[in-house]
Amino acid sequence: MGKNDFEEKIIEEIENEEEIKFDEKLREKIKKEIKEKYKKEIKKIKREIEKKRKKKEKEEEEYFIRFSLNIRLQHFILAVGVLILIITGLPIKFHEAMWAKIILKIMGGIQVSRILHRVGASLLFIVSVWHMLYIIFTREGRREFIELLPRPKDIMDFIQNIKYFLGLVNEKPKFGRFSYIEKFDYWAVYWGMVIMLGSGTILWFHNFFLGVLPKFILDIAKEVHSDEAMLATLAIVIWHWYNAHFNPEVFPFNPTIFTGKIPKERMLKEHPLEYEKIMKEKSKK
Amino acid sequence: MKTLILLVLLLQTPEDQNRRCLLCHGKKDFGIVENGKFKSLYVNYDNLKSSVHKKFTCVTCHNDVRVIPHLIKPKKIHCLQCHFAGNVVGAPVEEMPEKYKESIHAKAKREGKKAPECYDCHGIHNVRPPDDTLSTVYKENIPSTCGKCHTKEKGSYEISIHWQGIKKGILESAVCNDCHREHDILPPDDPRSTLNPRNVVHTCEKCHANVQIMKKTGVPIKQVEAFKESFHGIALEFGVLKAANCTSCHRYHDILPSTDPRSPIHPDNLAETCGKCHPNASQNVAKGKVHILPEEKEAGIVYYVYTFFKIFTFTVILGLVIHIILDLFGQFRRRRYGKK
Repeated sequence: MGKNDFEEKIIEEIENEEEIKFDEKLREKIKKEIKEKYKKEIKKIKREIEKKRKKKEKEEEEYFIRFSLNIRLQHFILAVGVLILIITGLPIKFHEAMWAKIILKIMGGIQVSRILHRVGASLLFIVSVWHMLYIIFTREGRREFIELLPRPKDIMDFIQNIKYFLGLVNEKPKFGRFSYIEKFDYWAVYWGMVIMLGSGTILWFHNFFLGVLPKFILDIAKEVHSDEAMLATLAIVIWHWYNAHFNPEVFPFNPTIFTGKIPKERMLKEHPLEYEKIMKEKSKK
Repeated sequence: MKTLILLVLLLQTPEDQNRRCLLCHGKKDFGIVENGKFKSLYVNYDNLKSSVHKKFTCVTCHNDVRVIPHLIKPKKIHCLQCHFAGNVVGAPVEEMPEKYKESIHAKAKREGKKAPECYDCHGIHNVRPPDDTLSTVYKENIPSTCGKCHTKEKGSYEISIHWQGIKKGILESAVCNDCHREHDILPPDDPRSTLNPRNVVHTCEKCHANVQIMKKTGVPIKQVEAFKESFHGIALEFGVLKAANCTSCHRYHDILPSTDPRSPIHPDNLAETCGKCHPNASQNVAKGKVHILPEEKEAGIVYYVYTFFKIFTFTVILGLVIHIILDLFGQFRRRRYGKK
């Protein structure tokens, strides 16, 4: 069956249905229009398939692995632990507020929330030991740790970044593997961990420490735990979430820390020096 | 006949009318032998004359005495004869009798046990208002009134700082009813009781968070507030009743200040007191301050830690927020003016 037959068939069908006869001129015109119509559609579909193929190619090609599975797991456990601790801890600090009472009620009361708080604390403890082992005993960990060490360039980057924000310079600072913002986040966790795990341990095992330490140390532990909790929560919610997720450049969510992948485009923008380094190493090979 | 009696009664003062009763009941040795025992029926008329019921005649209450001398034993009278809502003699009606019905005293009475009724505390013929120094329910006299039955508690109470306060003339100091209430006294295991673990803090707070009273006695005002911020206080607030409340450490009837060596909160006794719940408590528990909010300067090192964190947190978060605002500002400007 030729193509013409197909069009002929449609016209015949219409003729039968409407019980009229088209003359030859009209027939030709309709045939032509039908032809044009389906050719257009086919083109469109082909274009779409091509687009999808390209997109897929791009995805496969232009992603870099930014975080190893080890780091991703560490971050995940830390994040879950901290969230549990915030949800179960803040209602104790703000026990007089209505929302605190509601949250505690949802969790099943203070006797449940304190157990959950200790679960969160254990996750934090596990991840800190894990991280210490990671940066001491694995090559990858040592390399990452060295990358995270502060250096003079961070101060220069910071100054340039502020200038860039203000429009005084037109060039963004070129960050390496970790920007000063990320380094700040990393080192802030050390400060927080030492304080929270230290004071938290005293509070958790207060019955033991009550016999060993003078009461005022326990009072300080309680105060410090409560104050640092507030600071850490604010820093995470305002600072870390803004820079990692809510920043208009990545809004609303930046999956890199969970998937480990970063697109080339963002790599170039956010970590140009690391990109250059990777490319150099690749070309050497 | 009835109207005539009424008229005669109206013309007489209560004293005139009572004179007839006192012909017998006014004699000090007047009495009968009941169940082989002498029972005095003497009434000290001066008591009645100075009571809140001075305007009334004997027969107002003993209303089954129609003929004098009466030949039958009058029935026991009850205060509710007059003190009920809608009474015509104008007896004040408050919620007290209703509250009394809820109390442990009324419950015991219903079960047939020996327990006080109105007149056991308020007196019989000598019912006086609570602000009358001779009243059985005058603040200073309450411990003796309750102590008629609760002798052990009275003895314990009388060494307390509260009783010392009363004796010094600080009448705001707590006596029995300030903590136990009066009419609706309930056992501590009743959740409505002022002595129930979940209510104790509130009971003490009535006075210990009252600026005027605490100023007068020189006791720090913020102690209850500081307790509520402690782990004990928060646990109690959320229903963990095994957490320590005020009385767990301070005891209750014989409350004494920490300066008194007999007090459970005296530094030398603290290890034992805390040890009731915290098995490892040692002399270390005395090295620190109790019931002080971190924002009070008296908190010492805790105050400085608190102040450091206040300033530190503010500065850090302010810096971070400025950084974020500048970032947003820059991005917005570049987007708007199309600059690179």
